Amino acid sequence: MSATSAPSTLPIVDIRHVSKSFGALKALNNVSMSMSLGEKVVIIGPSGSGKSTLLRSINKLETVDSGTIIVDGLDINAPATDINKLRMELGMVFQSFNLFPHKTVLENLTLAPMKLKGMSRAEADEMGLKLLDKVGIMEKAHVYPSKLSGGQQQRVAIARALAMSPKIMLFDEPTRALDPEMIGEVLDVMVTLAREGMTMAVVTHEMGFAREVADRVVFMDHGGIIEEGTPEHFFKSPEHDRTKLFLSQIL
Amino acid sequence: MSETRIIDVGEGAAIPSKTDWGLFNAWTISIVFAISTIFYLIVFEPAPYKRIILYLSDGVIITFEVTIISIICACIIGLITGLGRVSKNKAINLLASTYVEIIRGIPLLVQLFYIYYALGRLLNVHDLTAAVIAMSVCYGAYMGEVFRAGITAIDKGQSEAARSLGFNTKQTMFLVILPQAWRTILPPVGNEFIALLKDTSLVSILAVSDLLRRGREFSSETFLYFETFTMVALVYLVITLLLSKGVSLMEARLSHYVRH
Repeated sequence: MSATSAPSTLPIVDIRHVSKSFGALKALNNVSMSMSLGEKVVIIGPSGSGKSTLLRSINKLETVDSGTIIVDGLDINAPATDINKLRMELGMVFQSFNLFPHKTVLENLTLAPMKLKGMSRAEADEMGLKLLDKVGIMEKAHVYPSKLSGGQQQRVAIARALAMSPKIMLFDEPTRALDPEMIGEVLDVMVTLAREGMTMAVVTHEMGFAREVADRVVFMDHGGIIEEGTPEHFFKSPEHDRTKLFLSQIL
Repeated sequence: MSETRIIDVGEGAAIPSKTDWGLFNAWTISIVFAISTIFYLIVFEPAPYKRIILYLSDGVIITFEVTIISIICACIIGLITGLGRVSKNKAINLLASTYVEIIRGIPLLVQLFYIYYALGRLLNVHDLTAAVIAMSVCYGAYMGEVFRAGITAIDKGQSEAARSLGFNTKQTMFLVILPQAWRTILPPVGNEFIALLKDTSLVSILAVSDLLRRGREFSSETFLYFETFTMVALVYLVITLLLSKGVSLMEARLSHYVRH
């Protein structure tokens, strides 16, 4: 996979010397990482290692204490940057789906394009149905999210993020809240997306997905990046002891 | 986590819903009892009761007026206060919190006297207007707390999802948070409506000719205390029961999206 979609060299996300504390806990400790357009980065690590915080700081759901984050050429923490506009370029998928329960599945997809991009209802509906078809649940377009299974809800959540035509997709443990039999259907959608060339940053424990899709695997522990590399390198010959320990526990 | 989901239901009549068997049937029994008693008395004992109900009818209209205008104003004040209470802007938050603390710390009757004499006498505001202002200011503070609780009860993931799509804080509040909050807010707000309706009887202390004051006027002229206040109580009961039914119907309509 990784060989077919060669990443371009232009960095679309550039994280430089970022630190963030929650009280006494140092969630991120001088972390630097960059992503190129089209690149798929999978971030793994034990819980509490700071990987979700790192991902959430890319679209400023977490504000970092120090360091800079440049997304698509804009410093996200600069006062002049319109963060709401920038977030339209950054699709995000959450562990807990976070669909809007008061809106139907289709309305979940069309709300943001209509309100933020001025799309007409007809245009938005057409695009929304196309996306639902893509994630394989077009027949559920007019039901409320509470009637869907977890796997279906997460696929809708992916479609909702895609409805804004983002340049980058951020996935924060998208399969963690799912029953095992539903993980596959969500990963399938993500693999398809990766094959289409979407730039993706994925926090996950799904090592199979990392092996198949990632251009680069980043291992985090205690708020820092311990090791990163291609999946072949990472899974076959990890250099760092902590990486080896983590892999031995999880594989 | 679970703490924020608790909504203070406050005082006020219970709102009947079909899922609460006892209350639903108690509501039916009460309304049938109240209406049939009123009709029985008017038809079979018209001598005092027909006169009483005709005399009270002006008061019923005033009570309705005060209740409905106060409910609308209190809702608007309550929404603004609730938004202020969850605002990240410290000055706005402090202002809203101080308003709630002061109002909740003073009895409604004292507030009524205060606004009536301060505004009514000094600024020459009409009696009815002063009463409505006092009711609205007081219940606005209570409703502000209900709105705040309803807003904070919505999962944080909802606002994160909205913000991640590019919505600003205002859009997030009005498109995503508040439409969901109505559902949790409505039962306690309904309780406030009913409490407000009953508390309008306090304005009879001022020179406002509401239902209770008309009753007091009639009884002091005719000395028919028992008959008059029986009728006053029954009329209040009917209005309160109808309002609580209205709230429960609204609730049923709003809960459509969580039904399985």
